[in-house]
Amino acid sequence: MLVSAAIAGLATGGAYALMGLSTLLTYRLVAVVNFAQAAVGAFGAFAMVVLYEAGLPLPLAVPAGLAVAALLHMGLGVVMVRWFAEAGEGVKAAVTIAVYTGLVALGLRLFGAQHPRRFPSPFDGPALTVGGVVVTWTAVLTMALAVLFAVGPALLLRHTRLGLLLRAMAERPTTAELIGVRVPRLSMVVWGSAGAASALAIMIVAPQLASDFSSQTLLITPALAAALIGGFSSFAWTFVGGVGLGVLQGLASTVTQLQQYRGVLPFLVILVVLVWTRRRDRWDEPA
Amino acid sequence: MRAHLATALSAALAATALAGCSTSDDTIRIGAIAGLTGNFITAEVVRTAQRVFDDANEAGGVNGKKIEFIVKDDAGNPQRTAQVARELDSEGVVAMAASASFTDCDVNDAFYRQSDISSIMAVAASPKCFQSPNIAPVNVGPFTLMTAVLLYASEELDAKAVCNFTVVLPGSEDAIKQALGDWERISGQKLVVNDMTVQQSGDLTPYLLKAKQAGCDAILFNPAEQLVVPWLQAAKTQGMSDVNFLLLAPAYTDSVATAVGGLGLKVHAGSEFEPYTVESPANAAWRDTVNRAQQPATAFSQGGYLAAKFLVDVLRTIEGEVTRESVNAALRGMAPIEHPMLGTPFTFGTGESHAPNQASKMVRLDGTKWVVASDEFITIPAGG
Repeated sequence: MLVSAAIAGLATGGAYALMGLSTLLTYRLVAVVNFAQAAVGAFGAFAMVVLYEAGLPLPLAVPAGLAVAALLHMGLGVVMVRWFAEAGEGVKAAVTIAVYTGLVALGLRLFGAQHPRRFPSPFDGPALTVGGVVVTWTAVLTMALAVLFAVGPALLLRHTRLGLLLRAMAERPTTAELIGVRVPRLSMVVWGSAGAASALAIMIVAPQLASDFSSQTLLITPALAAALIGGFSSFAWTFVGGVGLGVLQGLASTVTQLQQYRGVLPFLVILVVLVWTRRRDRWDEPA
Repeated sequence: MRAHLATALSAALAATALAGCSTSDDTIRIGAIAGLTGNFITAEVVRTAQRVFDDANEAGGVNGKKIEFIVKDDAGNPQRTAQVARELDSEGVVAMAASASFTDCDVNDAFYRQSDISSIMAVAASPKCFQSPNIAPVNVGPFTLMTAVLLYASEELDAKAVCNFTVVLPGSEDAIKQALGDWERISGQKLVVNDMTVQQSGDLTPYLLKAKQAGCDAILFNPAEQLVVPWLQAAKTQGMSDVNFLLLAPAYTDSVATAVGGLGLKVHAGSEFEPYTVESPANAAWRDTVNRAQQPATAFSQGGYLAAKFLVDVLRTIEGEVTRESVNAALRGMAPIEHPMLGTPFTFGTGESHAPNQASKMVRLDGTKWVVASDEFITIPAGG
């Protein structure tokens, strides 16, 4: 029973990891803790569903949805670059929270909250059966994509010239610009790709989660918990964190004493990680 | 530009003044609170009720007076819910009818008691709606409906291993426990699995695995559409096509039928009223009304229709001035009204709490259509 619950949790964990990795990507490259990441992704995913329901074939609706999310995220990027380029991380995060609230309200208006949207799930067929649990192709795909999201950016940043430029831009934007890196243009590309990536993540995981807009945007909580496990720097650990969180939630729902606390697990993880990483800080001494 | 503004302003002022004048005794004011905007929209409830009142007015009104139906939008926001109830009070409503706000009972029960306002609710979803001397809902509500749906499983479907997975909204735990306890007492069965800790977020597969493990042959799941669709999709993935899935009225919608109809699962739902998808004589008058109101024919709109109709019936029994006092007296002294859309008669009465509707029909999914699964209403035995 425990094993099967853990396996069932892997699918959710893959989703958390995907979202966490998109969030980390935004943070690593443009230095913004983006609370609106999942909302942007959900926006793109819902745009895809609306187009699909209107009769557009899936191979066209998906890129259209990705484009919507990319443009939306670039819009947020423009705001950040133009007005908050020199602001601290706290201020930037606060701006994204405001954007998150706005997107939730707008999404409810545009996509309706009442009736479930029919997310197409072309990969819903059973892939394999492990320990009495049927694992779908969606779950396999989610996991594969999460691995890709974890390995890809890490390789890109470490081993390519583009990665070098991106790192320069993330660490010292002004200095990078002074030595000739085209920061605004490059950062727009980053914002766009991160937006499209989170839309892709939501599109894949949406059929198995509550199918309304606001539930999807709430994926940001486990995503931030996963990114925190990666210390907001390691793609590999963020992946581990997301998957671990999903498995933990799966396990918790089988243990009667724990099941009612299943929903607060991300917060608990955030708390434990914060306490652990700050364990050597001495607050009573002057810095 | 400035001249335009002045004209507009004076026109607005004049309109307000006119509206102010009409507070005189020539109309009977009825109030309602509904979600016209926001998270959960129940506009069809009050618009159908409006049509019922319009019909009554076109037939000469009540005691020669027209009914004025004032609908306030609370946008699902409790602060608004409280505020608009006070607005309705100061606008002099004699009663509330056809309200469809999910926060109304919790927020306004005490205020209704204080200001002697009675409410015939169309869509009641909180335990408080069934625990007030001032509120009588026409619908069964999510708690009694659980008992009815479980009775259907144990009696009609002959289920031997009934399981329950429930999302408990704050404040409804006792009502749910009581509804489940009622079923256990009436049926003599025990729930094989009773999980009242289902989360609204995350994957639902672990719960289904638990049900599979325990060998459940009927599974009750209470949430609304957004969660029902992934629930049934996950059940399909886990190959649970021989299990009866039991749902409550919020899942009995066309969009659920289209979203999960193709999965080939055995899905049943409680309809509360005569199932809205059925063209039956019982539904004829309501369907005509909702069509003329140009509103979608939903189970919610049935509630709006019935609540408005019952209030008009009661108003017609009042001799003399229609005031809050005379309406309250008439409601408390009313004779129960039978209606073919209901399994038990509607009445208000003098009790400290009201839950007149104690019966539901059942529907099941046949392809992508809901069809009637029980010809008779399943009625909770009195005293049960």
